[in-house]
Amino acid sequence: MTRVRVTAPLSAARPATQSREAAVESEVGQLFVRSLIRTQLRLALVVACGFLLILCAFPLLLAAVPGLAETRVAGIPFDWLLLGAGIYPVTGLSAWLYIRTAARNEARYRDLAEDK
Amino acid sequence: MRPGTATSPRTSDLAVNPAVGLVALVVVSVATAVIGFYGLRISRTTGDFYVASRTVRPWWNASAIGGEYLSAASFLGVAGLILLSGTDALWFPVGYTAGYLMLLLFVAAPLRRSGAYTIPDFTEARLDSRAVRRVTSVVVVVVGWLYIVPQLHGAALTIRITTGLPAWVGSVAVVVVVCLTVVAGGMRSITFVQAFQYWLKLTALAVPVLFIVFALAGNGSAAVAPAAVNPTGLAPAGPYQNISLLVALLFGTLGLPHVLVRFYTNPDGQSARRTTLIVLGLLSVFYLFPTAYGLMGRMFAPDLARSGQADAVVLLLPGQLIGGTARDLLSALVVAGAFAAFLSTTSGLVVSLAGVISQDVLGGSVRGFRLAAVISAVVPLGFALSTDSLALAGSVGLVFAFTASTVCPVLLLGIWWRGLTDTGAIAGMVTGGVLCGGAMVSGAALGAAGTPFWLAQPAAWTVPAAFAVMVLVSRATRQRIPQTMARVMTRLHTPERPLATER
Repeated sequence: MTRVRVTAPLSAARPATQSREAAVESEVGQLFVRSLIRTQLRLALVVACGFLLILCAFPLLLAAVPGLAETRVAGIPFDWLLLGAGIYPVTGLSAWLYIRTAARNEARYRDLAEDK
Repeated sequence: MRPGTATSPRTSDLAVNPAVGLVALVVVSVATAVIGFYGLRISRTTGDFYVASRTVRPWWNASAIGGEYLSAASFLGVAGLILLSGTDALWFPVGYTAGYLMLLLFVAAPLRRSGAYTIPDFTEARLDSRAVRRVTSVVVVVVGWLYIVPQLHGAALTIRITTGLPAWVGSVAVVVVVCLTVVAGGMRSITFVQAFQYWLKLTALAVPVLFIVFALAGNGSAAVAPAAVNPTGLAPAGPYQNISLLVALLFGTLGLPHVLVRFYTNPDGQSARRTTLIVLGLLSVFYLFPTAYGLMGRMFAPDLARSGQADAVVLLLPGQLIGGTARDLLSALVVAGAFAAFLSTTSGLVVSLAGVISQDVLGGSVRGFRLAAVISAVVPLGFALSTDSLALAGSVGLVFAFTASTVCPVLLLGIWWRGLTDTGAIAGMVTGGVLCGGAMVSGAALGAAGTPFWLAQPAAWTVPAAFAVMVLVSRATRQRIPQTMARVMTRLHTPERPLATER
């Protein structure tokens, strides 16, 4: 009795791998990949720097405006509210913006890579 | 409703009813084990054991990541540190959360697309070198063991305070339950367990906080002390400590082995990003509560800080501010949540360590994975039993500093810089590991009082040093850039399949 290995045809199962292989082989493909990496890195750095700037601005704001830290909102001191809760929406918003833009960059790359 | 007892210094008043603590511990352990064994029935292949065959949905996966990430440091330590040092300690939860943002920006999708199972798999594939793989494996195992120790310390503290049993019972109980679940079900069952534990931890913190807020609002009692009062009289941290801490937390998160292994369970890069976004939301909600505990502890129970029990504030506060049956129920809930934290983080670490150890040493079989799981849990147990616990959030902060100085540079440069070589990667990891490890050892030798501030928070100089050495040595050994570099970089950064987002 002979054993036969049953596999799906490669071309049908992994079209992505093929287009990715093609991208490595050709000059133009590599150019697209390099530009995608550069765009994504720039995006990540911009979002990270923006977030860190806002993060630094919070304690500076508290230091710059006297009395602000002691102001109470619903019984909670304002500095606790700002540092303990206010930073999280900024984090979420940065993440959401990044994901949207990163996906758009990838869609643009895909269009280029398929058109060529 | 007896806020007056908050000023009582007698510790016998502070203890939770021992039976309540014990019952909570047993219930969480049994629930964990049951979910683990349920998972056993559906995880059958080696792939299931390692990464749940990469078929876990984003919401499940995000809850699991949240469950795994929120450790003893988050559940007990953050509130304790806030009680001790006030707004300075708010940087801990901020850093723990922002670390995930960095993970999303720089690591999530490329790491998923690399298709590797573990961090050593990734570095080997990227740099085409067995030597890099071995060094990374050693670093990952050290990080994992260092991180498990504070979990076991947290368990020991919880058991001592809530049941009066000897402290070692807590550590041993955690290791036994973790070994049983991991050996039984592998990654698939762990995913269910972790997801369950995130929600348990959130409930365990949120419900008592709401109870306390309503109780206080109901009887209109004034705070014992205003939030700005410093209960211990410790000097506030300078800007150097805050910056160094933030560097450690921001960059440490993206090298944690148990967090990274979770990204392989996403079906593709874009879903890895979506999972991270959900995790960010889950963490943001969670960290509101330790912050609330810290603030309320400062106002109503500043004596906990003075009696050296700051890390137990989450466990003791409900018992102090609420009376009657509600007091026992809330205490039980908090103890259950604490054990969920120790169990979930420890089992996540054990799974990722077992993945590394079994693939590198034991040949990658299911049998090897089980043996490796036991090894990776028992070694830190020995270490935990022979050392004393420090402030939980502080000792976890040091682990983040170590990760940020070793795993983080090799990941970031490996993903984004074409010029990285195997020699550079090894030199950078060794530099970061030796500098940061040296700072940790000398800090422990000198004691908390005798350690200069730059040794106590080393990340601000060890992380740049590791990056600099990695870049300079890679430049000097430019001829060693692997042949496969272009292919691997393409794989890391290009989307998997057309229209992956429309599925």
